[in-house]
Amino acid sequence: MRRNLPRSKYQKGIIHPIKYLRDYLERDIRPDGRQFLRVRPMSVNVRSITQADSSSIFKIGNTTVVCGIKAELAEPKVETPDCGYIIPNVELPPLCSPKFRPGPPSDQAQISSKIVETVFLNSGVLDPRNLCISKNKLVWVLYCDLICIDYDGSVMDACVGALMAALKTLTLPEVEHNPDTGAIIVHPSKRLSVPLKGAPVCTTFALFEDQLLIPDPTEEEESLALARLSLVIDGEELCGVYKAGGIPISQEVLMKSLSQSKKRAELVRKLIDTAISST
Amino acid sequence: MPVDQRRINGPEVTIPYNIYFDSNAKQTETRKTLPKKRTDGRDSTELRKIFVKTGIVSQAKGSAYIEMGKTKVVCSVFDPREIPNKTGYSLQGELFCEFKFSPFSCLKRKIHQQDSEEKEYSIILQRALESAVCRHEFPNFQVDVYALVLDNGGSSLAAAIMASSLALSDASVPMFGLVTAVTAGIYQDRFYLDLTEEEEVICSKAPDESTSSRNYGIVIQANLPQHGQISEFFHVGSMDLANMKPTVEAITTACKELCPVMQQCLVKSVLKALKRKENMEKEDQ
Amino acid sequence: MEGTEIVEDEGILRPMKCELNHLTMPDGSAMFMQGDTAVVAGIYGPVEARVQKMMYDKASIEVVYTPIKGPPCVDDRMREQIIKETCEAALIATLHPGTAICINVQELQDSGGLLACTVNAACLALINSGLSMKFMIGAVNCMIEKDSQKLILDPDTTQIQEAKATFTFIFDSSKKDLVSCQTTGRFTEKEFLYSFDKCKEASQCVFQFFRSIVTKYATRI
Repeated sequence: MRRNLPRSKYQKGIIHPIKYLRDYLERDIRPDGRQFLRVRPMSVNVRSITQADSSSIFKIGNTTVVCGIKAELAEPKVETPDCGYIIPNVELPPLCSPKFRPGPPSDQAQISSKIVETVFLNSGVLDPRNLCISKNKLVWVLYCDLICIDYDGSVMDACVGALMAALKTLTLPEVEHNPDTGAIIVHPSKRLSVPLKGAPVCTTFALFEDQLLIPDPTEEEESLALARLSLVIDGEELCGVYKAGGIPISQEVLMKSLSQSKKRAELVRKLIDTAISST
Repeated sequence: MPVDQRRINGPEVTIPYNIYFDSNAKQTETRKTLPKKRTDGRDSTELRKIFVKTGIVSQAKGSAYIEMGKTKVVCSVFDPREIPNKTGYSLQGELFCEFKFSPFSCLKRKIHQQDSEEKEYSIILQRALESAVCRHEFPNFQVDVYALVLDNGGSSLAAAIMASSLALSDASVPMFGLVTAVTAGIYQDRFYLDLTEEEEVICSKAPDESTSSRNYGIVIQANLPQHGQISEFFHVGSMDLANMKPTVEAITTACKELCPVMQQCLVKSVLKALKRKENMEKEDQ
Repeated sequence: MEGTEIVEDEGILRPMKCELNHLTMPDGSAMFMQGDTAVVAGIYGPVEARVQKMMYDKASIEVVYTPIKGPPCVDDRMREQIIKETCEAALIATLHPGTAICINVQELQDSGGLLACTVNAACLALINSGLSMKFMIGAVNCMIEKDSQKLILDPDTTQIQEAKATFTFIFDSSKKDLVSCQTTGRFTEKEFLYSFDKCKEASQCVFQFFRSIVTKYATRI
């Protein structure tokens, strides 16, 4: 049987995609030659974008997400005078897939941005108080832009991974702020990293007939799946279970996905750590 | 400015931190004129090391990635589709080009929407490619070309033009030839090819009144080196007519030099595809 | 946090109130209140679909969620998506190919558990509209209190202030399986599964309420 076909050029334009996928699944294999519970190879690259304060490129199979963080200064909100801002935005530009058209962000991009933000806030990875320079006067704003370069399924996993890798390598220059005169002096040579705790890892699953659960779906599998489920794990704790509609799932499947995503979380965490230490 | 409800928004006013750099620090000194010797040690007409790769976006029909020094650009091309909102028949196919800097690619953060500079660059990109594509082969259809700058280290537009031409050929869009582009900068009596971002900044400002030569400017020229033709010439600044000829000549030679690099990259991708086909046939037997 | 016993609060949902046919124009409508959280939902459908959204094999489902003030933002998009996908799971969309089913939801007051309330209102409006459904959908919101580790079902705004994690589970009425799920905060696996079980039990109250409402209105027609 034909396996490992390069997807882009040969599998497009299948006449009956649903049957095509089902034929594979009935033979206990996925169209890209993977076993049901196997995840695609991942790779992380950090600090490659020189103009950003920190950056990372996260790849899962073909799926590629680039994260760049730009730090700027601003006044804090009145209700949270000692908290900085973290502004994550996910972009799904028309460049990454023919599904998207130029113009304002699609619904999907907006939902992805929201999920990344919720995951970030829920996990409490970065205490916004650590971004405070001078209470009531000056805080850091971290613009975290996540751009999808190649949209081939499980984009949320790549987004969360890219954001975490970029945050881990983020350094901010030392700032002197005189609260009386409002004078600001930045020392570009003295850069400090931001304290983080934990590292949430997102794992997406696709569900098919008979409660068949497969992790890390490709775009093709994702678009034909009967339901999708994302779990975010940080160490021993969960910080997000997200499922929007689709076929109902039983508790057994939920337990199975939990144990699978735990394994994956460990894998991703190690991967990010090695990528950072090797550069 | 109205708040964009489709994105997560930050505070209304944010200031980049680099304007507050400690003035005593050595790092911050900015040059007013082009240095005699380029900071990266290149000759005035020497190009930066270039890396190109095709087929990096699996979902696109054709795609390319280019790295020139610090500049990194991704470009992808999609299947022809009917020209939207078109009444009547257009004999020639169209190219739709979108050029975008990613928000973190420049010294100053870019907004998510296309700004006027990016719109202008989109049009230049379109003009540079249009004459190289056999547009009569797909009447009434348009081919989408998207270029995204991940990191701007100068000459991003020239890089985007080359990446787009590679992506178009990777997508098997019929073309007359490859397009190569080079940026040149002039400041007073100095002339450099393939500018870095720092040099771009210097060249786009007019020298002081007092100086002898008031020449300055940036020239971006796209060539079809296989035919010895120029497809796009874009110039900002002001300079003596006498300077024009050597500039064009230098760029044309540089464009010719770039052509084999791109050809090699395409040959590589063809060889790879052939090998893949061979393997597949073996597996089928 | 690990190993602490999860203490159960008396598992009662806030009182639910509902009025069907509240709006005259839509094909189905419901005003639904859960405690002080109130939502109005109206359904149009099946109606003619817009050309771009038309699907030849099934009805396209469109959801518009309007917040109480200001234009809809990114948060509301997420809510819309959950409502849309959840209703899509319940509806038999293939019965009306090439059409659209529009679900409009207006927030009236939010005092906790807004998402659950919205989904329940949408379900009641769908029942009222007479569209064929595979099953009913019932949403239950719950939270885990920060200090006491207590599980509180269907908390209100003041209780949510003290939450370390909140969960919204949406179940189907036939197999009582999980249709949708949204969470905030950090929690352990144990806490998650415990909340899942409790909410599953509590979803019976929601379905019971749905049935009583339907019976109540059925006699009037």
